[in-house]
Amino acid sequence: MKLVKYLSLVALLLVAGMTFAQEDSTSQERKPGHLNNNRFKQMYQEFSTPNMFRTASGAPGPNYYQQQADYKMDIELDDKNTKLYGNETITYTNNSPDELEYLWVQLDQNVRSKDTKSPLIEPSGATPADMAGSFVGKYMGAPFDGGFNIQEVKDAKGGDLPYTINQTMMRVEMPKHLKPGEKFVFSIKWWYNVNNHVTDRARSGYELFDDGNRGYVIAQFYPRMAVYNDVEGWQNSQFWGRDEFALPFGNFEVNITVPADHVLDGTGTLQNRKEVYSKEMMERYEKAQKSYEKPVIIVSQAEAEAASKGFATGKKTWRLKADMVRDFGFATSRRFIWDMMAVKIGNKDVMAISMYPPEGNPLWEDYSTIVVASTLKSYSRMTFDYPYPKAISVHSKNQGMEYPMICWNYGRPDADGTYSERTKYGMMSVIIHEVGHNFFPMIVNSDERQWTWMDEGLNTFVQYVAEQDFGEWYPDAISPNTSYPSRRGPAKNIIDYMAGDQDFMAPIMTKGLNTYNFGSNAYAKPATGLNILRETIMGRDLFDYSFRTYAERWMFKHPTPEDFFRTMEDASAVDLDWFWRAWFYTTDYTDIGVKEVKKFYVTSKMNKEVREMMAQRGMKESDLPPLVYMVEEGSEDFEESMRTASLNDVSTLQEYIMDNVPAEERAALKNPKYFYEITFEKPGGIPMPIIAEYTYSDGSSERITYPAEIWRKNDQSVGKIIASDKEITKIVVDPDEETADIDTTNNEWPKRKKLGEFNKFKENVKGE
Amino acid sequence: MKFLKIAILVLIFPLLSASSAHKFYVSITKVEYVAEKESIQIITQIFIDDVEKVLQERYNSDISLGTKKETKEDAEVLKKYILQKLKIKVNGKPVSLNYIGKEYETDIVKSYIEVTGIKSFKSIEIENQVLMDLYEEQQNIIHLKTKESRRSLILERDNPKGVLNFD
Repeated sequence: MKLVKYLSLVALLLVAGMTFAQEDSTSQERKPGHLNNNRFKQMYQEFSTPNMFRTASGAPGPNYYQQQADYKMDIELDDKNTKLYGNETITYTNNSPDELEYLWVQLDQNVRSKDTKSPLIEPSGATPADMAGSFVGKYMGAPFDGGFNIQEVKDAKGGDLPYTINQTMMRVEMPKHLKPGEKFVFSIKWWYNVNNHVTDRARSGYELFDDGNRGYVIAQFYPRMAVYNDVEGWQNSQFWGRDEFALPFGNFEVNITVPADHVLDGTGTLQNRKEVYSKEMMERYEKAQKSYEKPVIIVSQAEAEAASKGFATGKKTWRLKADMVRDFGFATSRRFIWDMMAVKIGNKDVMAISMYPPEGNPLWEDYSTIVVASTLKSYSRMTFDYPYPKAISVHSKNQGMEYPMICWNYGRPDADGTYSERTKYGMMSVIIHEVGHNFFPMIVNSDERQWTWMDEGLNTFVQYVAEQDFGEWYPDAISPNTSYPSRRGPAKNIIDYMAGDQDFMAPIMTKGLNTYNFGSNAYAKPATGLNILRETIMGRDLFDYSFRTYAERWMFKHPTPEDFFRTMEDASAVDLDWFWRAWFYTTDYTDIGVKEVKKFYVTSKMNKEVREMMAQRGMKESDLPPLVYMVEEGSEDFEESMRTASLNDVSTLQEYIMDNVPAEERAALKNPKYFYEITFEKPGGIPMPIIAEYTYSDGSSERITYPAEIWRKNDQSVGKIIASDKEITKIVVDPDEETADIDTTNNEWPKRKKLGEFNKFKENVKGE
Repeated sequence: MKFLKIAILVLIFPLLSASSAHKFYVSITKVEYVAEKESIQIITQIFIDDVEKVLQERYNSDISLGTKKETKEDAEVLKKYILQKLKIKVNGKPVSLNYIGKEYETDIVKSYIEVTGIKSFKSIEIENQVLMDLYEEQQNIIHLKTKESRRSLILERDNPKGVLNFD
């Protein structure tokens, strides 16, 4: 009987916290039941059921398939009239288990057609006054006559195929359904008016230079097959102008005819180099293939400027061939400088290439190609060896846009050739970013139309790693900085966004078109989330292994968000469902702080709490075995003498030790003197780890990270006991700002009135 | 004239601007009412390259910000421009803005502005037309913080001002 009573009391003491909580709730009305709302609940509802196409581990399944679209194209540029003509033959292979009734082809140029519906989905309102220019543009101007003019769609025998154009998509009817394993060959003849991308800020088009020359950066320029797969069927979401592309892999043979005095580079390997290069260019090219340290000029500035003076009437055809690419782009002008160098990736040589008008110098000649080379090395380290033979960075005013093996990048010095640090780092960062897109989404081929973050977020994350690498590998290029000044990546840079108004926020798992703050939503937030996983939650080894596993699994394939989430857990044994839900599926934010700190002393004298429990149960002190009691500083049982007492003075404890701990082991026992109960609070929704830094009276400090799972049973507050032989003088939560905590006023104990950003600045100004 | 031409052309295709790196035309202005100081503290953050461009177009093509070439006059022009484009009414009455200064951080410029003598804070109307004279798709986001709440406004060219009431 005595034993039972004793056990029940001990049980009661052990669960004291919980017991009190339950007593509180019994005084209220009975609450209705609820679903599992635990933030650590697994993602069974959000994720689709794994199947034979995509496995629960996040890898392609045994029945995984993807369609293939091979292109043979003859393209001609009419520079004088800024028109582009094309005739393409597509061989479409149905690798799916489904019989296809029709094919969908994407006509992305139609976003610029006269009757484009894109402006119609943008709400607008009346303004009290307009600048005359605005008014003309809004109400009086004629729209640009862009968009595809489809001249014919024919089968392999030359018979017309019926087709239907719905804005930026074209449905092509085949003579009979395309069975699994079958191929269908058809051709499309088209032309369109090339736009000025500088004035209409498009992703492709031309820039008009002061001397009348044009620099063309051409993309989305041919009707492209849509993706058909196991998750979407046909990709059927229109191109409104923002969400990018979803494209199947294929092999390309493209012949591009341009004025004879143009140079040209694009996706793929040049097949007729000797025909289109001069003898000098060939010699320089041979040299560049062996130059691993710095680029070799293929066309110099003087040569480009000389070429800019004549406007050749003759033509030249450049033949390019590319295997396993999802798209094709090219750049051409007579005003381009061209340089190249080799970079070793694994045991293969890749060419790093830049093309730029004289307007880009001196910046471009100094940095572009080495940045390309450095980027390929960093990304290969984080994912897989870059599999393509080259990567080109083209200087195109105001642009940052990516295609396989080629991208357009901004960053232009002032007219006098000087440039600011910001122009320089803007240029380097955009080159790293766009070259990086070769990996996501050109090779790890996610659906950009649905999930902007899958390529932009992942790419912005690796961009941060690559920027830091570049700073380390090329210290002279970033001097006097000691590390590369990255804009996105560190957790604290996302706080302003995460702290914003919830009415203007969408979860990352939102189609790009429907988000409010595109840059923060689809680029910065996912990149920061991955950086937090890497630096704080998983650690670099586990994260990097898993991230690489994802990249390798989905190299040259089409992953979905779940394939990424699942792989990251599968390869690391870190359950991240809580993180995916909080960071990617909600607009929750991080806010964790210290709510309360209580200090306790140890005594053998029974305290009030136990006395009360005993009284309730009709027990006497003699019913109990020897206990050690905790007394809160300042409470009824507290006595000043406790401050100076040590554990040796606690008789019950000493007796136990003498009876149970062998003499030789006693010296090894710790001798804590101070006991603290720290209550952490979590006003924010995201259950991040609690990174607590404890500073002691002797100036030393230690850091304890309590994993996020500490919040699994109580989402608002949790307690922790610290037993120490030294007094705690300060506690700081998240001292290095690693968790994107949006409100740090509660992060310190004792609470310190922090000088806000505004007041700090004001003080400084006064001081000057 | 050159500026008008650009503006006209820009207006024709305002939707095709998305590209893959920076080019989002956004500024962020943090506004906080600090009751005990009877003060409204404002920090407005603008991309340096965007505002430099607009100042060059409006005033002088030699203007340079955040570089060694920046002059005292350039800083004055920035101040003048921001104060011209940012207008605030508190409790229905226009208030005067005290421009304290600015500092640079990577690719943004932060301007610190204060409104003093605000004893009661029932409503605020903020108009921020910064950069809207050059970029059609410019969005000026306002984050407002008081002791009790956080609210936001997204200001656009067609709708450059907004009111927040606190009752």
